[in-house]
Amino acid sequence: MKKKLTAILTASAMVAALCACGGSQPAATTAAPAETPAATEAPATEAPAAETEAAAETEAAETEAAAEESSEGKVFNIYAWNEEFKGFFEKYYKVPDGVTVNWIITPSDNGAYQQKLDEALLNQENAADDDKVDMFLAEADYILKYAGSDATQDITKIGVTDFSNTYNYTVQAASDANGVVKGVSFQCCPSALIYRRSIAEDVLGTSEPDEVQAKLDSWEKFNAVAADAKAKGYYMTPSFAETYRVFSNNCTTPWVDADNNLQFDPQIEAWMDQTDEFIKNGYTLTAGIWDDEKNAQMFADGKTMCFFGPAWYFNFCMGNAQDPEKGCSGDWAITEGPAAHFWGGTWLMAPAGTDNPTMLADIMNTFINDEEVCSALVENEAQFSNNQAVNAKFAADESYGNEFLGGQNDVAVFSAMTDNIVWENHTIYDQLLNEGLQNQMQEYYKGSVDKETALKNFYNYVNETYPAIVTPQ
Amino acid sequence: MKNNDQSEKARIHLLMLRILVYAILLFLTFLCLVFFYMLIINSSRSNAQLQAGFSALPQGNFIKNLKNAWTDASINIPRGMLNSFIIASSCAILTTYFSALTAYGIHIYDFKLKKPAFLFIMAVMMIPPQVSAVGFIQLMMKLKLTNNFLPLIVPSIAAPVVFFYMKQYMESVLPYEIVESARIDGAGEFRIFNQIVLPIMKPAIAVQMIFSFVQSWNNYFIPALLLDKAEMKTVPIMIAQLRSADYSKFDMGKVYMFILLAILPVLIVYLILSRFIIKGVTAGAVKG
Amino acid sequence: MSKEEKVLKKKSPRNAKWGYIFIIPFFAAYICCTLIPQLMTFYNSLFMNYRDGLTQVGPKFVGLQNFVKLFSPDNSGTIGILKYFGNTIILWLMGAIPQIVVAMLLAVFFTSYRLNIKGQQFFKTVIYMPNLIMASAFSMLFFTLFSPVGPVNQLLLGAGWVDKAVDFLNIKISVRVLISLMNFLMWFGNTTILLMAGIQGIDQSLFDAAMVDGASSTQTFFRVTLPLLRPILIYTVITAMIGGIQMFDVPQILTKGIGMPNRTSMTVVMYLNNYLTTSKNYGMAGAVSVVLFIISAALSLVVYSSLSRQYKKPARHRKY
Repeated sequence: MKKKLTAILTASAMVAALCACGGSQPAATTAAPAETPAATEAPATEAPAAETEAAAETEAAETEAAAEESSEGKVFNIYAWNEEFKGFFEKYYKVPDGVTVNWIITPSDNGAYQQKLDEALLNQENAADDDKVDMFLAEADYILKYAGSDATQDITKIGVTDFSNTYNYTVQAASDANGVVKGVSFQCCPSALIYRRSIAEDVLGTSEPDEVQAKLDSWEKFNAVAADAKAKGYYMTPSFAETYRVFSNNCTTPWVDADNNLQFDPQIEAWMDQTDEFIKNGYTLTAGIWDDEKNAQMFADGKTMCFFGPAWYFNFCMGNAQDPEKGCSGDWAITEGPAAHFWGGTWLMAPAGTDNPTMLADIMNTFINDEEVCSALVENEAQFSNNQAVNAKFAADESYGNEFLGGQNDVAVFSAMTDNIVWENHTIYDQLLNEGLQNQMQEYYKGSVDKETALKNFYNYVNETYPAIVTPQ
Repeated sequence: MKNNDQSEKARIHLLMLRILVYAILLFLTFLCLVFFYMLIINSSRSNAQLQAGFSALPQGNFIKNLKNAWTDASINIPRGMLNSFIIASSCAILTTYFSALTAYGIHIYDFKLKKPAFLFIMAVMMIPPQVSAVGFIQLMMKLKLTNNFLPLIVPSIAAPVVFFYMKQYMESVLPYEIVESARIDGAGEFRIFNQIVLPIMKPAIAVQMIFSFVQSWNNYFIPALLLDKAEMKTVPIMIAQLRSADYSKFDMGKVYMFILLAILPVLIVYLILSRFIIKGVTAGAVKG
Repeated sequence: MSKEEKVLKKKSPRNAKWGYIFIIPFFAAYICCTLIPQLMTFYNSLFMNYRDGLTQVGPKFVGLQNFVKLFSPDNSGTIGILKYFGNTIILWLMGAIPQIVVAMLLAVFFTSYRLNIKGQQFFKTVIYMPNLIMASAFSMLFFTLFSPVGPVNQLLLGAGWVDKAVDFLNIKISVRVLISLMNFLMWFGNTTILLMAGIQGIDQSLFDAAMVDGASSTQTFFRVTLPLLRPILIYTVITAMIGGIQMFDVPQILTKGIGMPNRTSMTVVMYLNNYLTTSKNYGMAGAVSVVLFIISAALSLVVYSSLSRQYKKPARHRKY
């Protein structure tokens, strides 16, 4: 019985994470962001130094030299929740002599990572130099909690000034409400419409990406095609929440207004309308995005035409489609779809009060501006790097193609669509509000509650999770 | 004749009863083992195979998963098991010894605060542990006790639920006369407890040792926040870390294998200790 | 305890000193590691105190406002905490009653010389095994089993008992049954072992005497085993109750923390956890804890005093 009592502490959150693939997907009940008042206004932020034209290599060389000479701290502490970046760091970054790099890795299960990081950041001032956080990693889902706070610092002041090659949204995401940049991403995760070529052939009469894109480049067309697909016995999407991210990435208002009132963006309303329609007409399934029921649709005998996801999703999370016997590798292709969006990504953040600012800046510059390192990331690590010049080089390479996508050059597709991705109107409540809304609406779509009750349950959830948000009465 | 009939009847009755009992036991055994069967099956499947949903048959990746789990560069399983073992066995010993000691103190002696002390423990037993977890972490961070096993071991001295069990057990098996006769023989109070009372309590101690061992072995949240050095991490943290792995290295097969491996030590401890539950009494009992 | 015992103890004053010495380590450890953070939480129930992102809001004294909020009806007219208490009690009863009954039966089976069950070691090991799997892993397995494309549905569809996959995790009854079943499976072995250890602790000569006197096994159970086992049984009932009231991990994981459908499987501690995890809302969490504490302490004391009063009489038989 005693175990039962303490098991309480160990449990929670995992299921979504478990059924899913690694670092970039949301965990069900992970403790997550709340916000600072400033961030609620969260207007679109321009990368302030985006036009700076400093030459990347010289900059990196300079800072590296500086790091060697400096009398900065001898211990560099990096907080992370997994080993992904650690691997790249150890391979591609030369640590200055005499500096020891310390990895503090706390798993993200049950919110442990953010809990650990928060305590460390809030204690940063009192910590001894060698115990200070010198860099930490953050995901898109909760990055604003840190970027929007005083716990992070302006990286342009420590020597990271050249954002000419990075994708704009990755800079916006790591900026606070005033456009001060607090970190950089070493990868870029544009998300595409992934469709079954054979089903597209049947429904649309073509499987060529350009022609398919022409028939699916707006929601009106997408919704109309859903009816055609249904008529031929197919599902348009495999999950009621499959298109959620495509809508929510393009919101024109944040989740809360200036007075912290909860508000539904027209994009979110549009998602609800679309999903109401899709469920009513049987265009989609009531499964969640990580459920077995959805994954079963990836098999060759699956009946679903459209999935949405970035490179990591189709390369690593569509195992059923890649199954040698029951799968259908090669019968897939990607295109931008009705709206540009992204999914996932890891940012390197600069904490205030680090005693190694030069080395921190040097690391950041290496992973966004060092052409050799960025090329290696694409070539050896299957990353879509955060360096446009490097990605363009691979996009132009005609010999490059992804077998799973029937030989399509996915880097080229992603390169073309990244310009349209925006990071606007975000709040630090986003992750759990998006997750909570999907969870409650799923009950409605499954028929266990009516829509009004689902929304009321959502408001209750918001009240419990974020005391600062005011919900409609 | 009549006796024979009766015993014949009784024998049939017993036989029927036995059949019923075995049927119940087999049914429960099935329910319990299904999950282990699933666990073994799942640990024999690759990540892609797991994504495909349920399978009733093993799928030949067992050795591969075992090798992957055992030789993972960043996760040192043998070390994790050793750490978990040190913490769990220390907790099991401290919890049972001090709970028995406290229960004995309250059961046998008479003192002013006896009743308040008992009621206090009874009352705090109900407080959900979430309530103190976060405060405890903050306290330990202030005291710089991170990456130290002590904050994970010392609190186990005070386990109200185990205390309550020991107290109840003493009430049913420990006659006061035993203690008194030992006193007349001139034994000191600690000696009476260690050499006379503890042996009588063997079954209770074995039971609670198993439970606290398992509980501590599977404990995740507090250790995850206090231990971040690779060589200090415990098994559940390592499992969580596997699940936090980035998408390219994410491997549920490895996770299931790890869960399976994590059960083995607990099973062994259970098998060893369960002997005491059976044998303990006859060895130590003193007739009142 | 009997009067003679009390007299004996009062005669030796050194006893009092030893009593304190024996309980000091427990209280010292408890106060340092648990009580202080707990009291802070209780105290916090009178404050507005939470984290908004990395910004600390409060603590600001608000009196009983958190409690008022806790007991105000929400926008659909439900008083959340009462609903969740109701859910908790239902889930607890559904799991705990079979758990204790089955455990009692098994404990008697295993300890019965007459039945003389073969392969005891095997059965005892097996029934405890579900307890060894971490709750999170156990829930993962349940998920796979009962998913709309899982083996249970395949069986049901294959046998033609249903025409369409049953969505077990979105039907009130089936979610509750699954939660209770998981709790039962995880804990009945544990309870059996506790009761067995209790029965093993009973002096064998009492069973022998009962047998010589010609008592049937039913008589032996009700006249010898049960009265002597009562303290352990009280323990079992009370801890099952605490475990029930604090029920969290299984429903939390099985329902992704939302207690679906329509929050009918949300327990009080899941509700508490909602306040605690994201915003560290010590104000509201403290208020929920206080209510939880009062209710469960009252329940436990009632159970304890009523059961131990009954127990006093047969206890005299203990004086062999």
